[in-house]
Amino acid sequence: MFSSVNNKISGVHLTSNTKQSIVAVLSVTFGISMYVFMNSFMSGVNDTQTNLAFTAMAHVRVYNDGPVDNTNLLKKVLPANTVVNLRSAKVIQYTEGIKNSRQIVSLLQHQPETTGVTTQVNINVSYHNGAVRINGLLSGVDVENEERLFGIGRYMLQGEWAQLKNRSDGVIVGSGLAKNMSLNINDNLNLVTDGGIVKNYKVIGIFETTIANTDKSKAYINIGAARQLLSKNADYVTDIQVNVKDYSKARQTAGAVAPAIPYKVEAWQMANGQLEAGSNLRDIIAKAVSLTILLVAGFGIYNIMNMTVSQKIREIAILKAMGFSGGDITQIFLTEALVIGVVGGIVGMVFGFFVALAVNNVPFKIGGLQTLPMTYKAHDYILAFIFGLLTTFVAGYLPARKASKIDPVTIIRG
Amino acid sequence: MDTTIALKGTAINKFFYQPEPFQVLKDISFSVNKGEFLTLVGKSGSGKSTLLYVLSTMDTDYKGSLEINGAVLTGKSQNQLAAFRNEHIGFVFQFHYLLVEFTALENVMLPALKLGKKSREEIEANAYESLKMLDLREQALKPANMLSGGQQQRVAIARALINNPSIIMGDEPTGNLDSKNTKVVFDIFKQLTRERGQTIIAVTHDDDFARNSDRIIELSDGNLLKTNTIGE
Repeated sequence: MFSSVNNKISGVHLTSNTKQSIVAVLSVTFGISMYVFMNSFMSGVNDTQTNLAFTAMAHVRVYNDGPVDNTNLLKKVLPANTVVNLRSAKVIQYTEGIKNSRQIVSLLQHQPETTGVTTQVNINVSYHNGAVRINGLLSGVDVENEERLFGIGRYMLQGEWAQLKNRSDGVIVGSGLAKNMSLNINDNLNLVTDGGIVKNYKVIGIFETTIANTDKSKAYINIGAARQLLSKNADYVTDIQVNVKDYSKARQTAGAVAPAIPYKVEAWQMANGQLEAGSNLRDIIAKAVSLTILLVAGFGIYNIMNMTVSQKIREIAILKAMGFSGGDITQIFLTEALVIGVVGGIVGMVFGFFVALAVNNVPFKIGGLQTLPMTYKAHDYILAFIFGLLTTFVAGYLPARKASKIDPVTIIRG
Repeated sequence: MDTTIALKGTAINKFFYQPEPFQVLKDISFSVNKGEFLTLVGKSGSGKSTLLYVLSTMDTDYKGSLEINGAVLTGKSQNQLAAFRNEHIGFVFQFHYLLVEFTALENVMLPALKLGKKSREEIEANAYESLKMLDLREQALKPANMLSGGQQQRVAIARALINNPSIIMGDEPTGNLDSKNTKVVFDIFKQLTRERGQTIIAVTHDDDFARNSDRIIELSDGNLLKTNTIGE
């Protein structure tokens, strides 16, 4: 099938007009390097966004979703079309939090995808300092596991995260909260739970996640201290947080354990649709822009190949007169296009890598970032190469087919 | 099957439809023997070139039938015809039509490389031999566009000969050459028919060239006027 004569002719065409060949190669190089760069940058942005989100949120959360819907108790016993007027229904007995947490934690830890499990006792509180009152969330945490899942230690401005383990009177507060409450290390923080219990803690650390809402309202205490505050036993938790190996597959893990757990099991995507949507939309934009660039590059190649065919129309006619078939002619020009595609693709991947590297070093000091984010994934490079090759194939095939249909008689007779 | 007949055309008719319907070849039947040096003559527009391109198998838009070396070629696919031309027909045109990006040697070798029946070394040796015969040994490695007009035409002849075709067709092969080079080309053609038994069919405007060939076929307004066998 691949005749060496045809390849030789392709080779001579490519090398005899070097300038034109280089322009064609450059257009592919440009398309592919932009594809690589755009996608690396977008997935860098997405990863950063996700990592930031996961500082306060686990991949899967188990919690007590509250009592069932009791707005119409009578519908269970009366026919569907009965008119019911029921006012001010009240739940008189309702179990808060998760009771048999040890069993559930053990179940979650034995899932193959699980990388970490931590338990929390989260309490809605109102912080008081003199006349200032701020509503917020007091999170009683398992200090070591919390660190393993969320890496809070990285965000500590003052004090040390690990100290919380041994200080049942200690609290670590967000930087915004500390500022609003005029708190420094070793100051007292007075708080009231929604159950009306008042308690005093000592500030032993200040953290800053850069998520303003968290920094302004959240404080951490030891999980034992939180249970004490609510007068609950050592098995009581409100939330179990689970991290899995691949966060994009959190739904599967949640789905797998949900039947065995009598509480709400929620993957992060369910609770944070906007994060997933944002990340998918950015992916779509990156793909759309880079494919457009590739398409433009494809038109460049199409143009150059078309020009080459027009320039060599007599040569093609003479080749056909000498006995080269339409297939041979197609092969000659398609080979040229594919050589341009492969060379442009390889150079484009290398060039794209260096563009990504350069942009990755541009300073960008917002929201905990130092430089613009970037990922380096082999799969982006491979896709860019495949798309580039496909583009050149199509852009080369059309002129090649045109060349193969040239009628030698019309051309030679003029 | 008559083995002495190289080419046979039977009742060949051809029409041009643009700008208006016009019959360019009218019921032409003739045959050419092996080793014959045939010239096609006639005024401009008489249809002689059109006939040559029908005979060459490149133009397939005609009525009638065409046989070369006993094989009926009418109705075959373009690809089959291309393969047939590659092996059995050599072309020399008014303009050399060499591939200017290749050397003279490479131009000569191309049809044989396409045929692929011999090794590259053999083909190269044959190409050198042809070039030597045409007094072009020194020009072999020059790019085709660096040669003079007469040299280019001789390279084109060497290219037509490389696959040792049974028929060589020329469309005014000497139309662009001076009298000295015309003589050279004519002598080569004559030599090929005499020494190798190859058949030559050439369209020409050159009366001297025609007169010295074996047979002249004259066309006028698409009709076969007469066939003169020289010396009769």
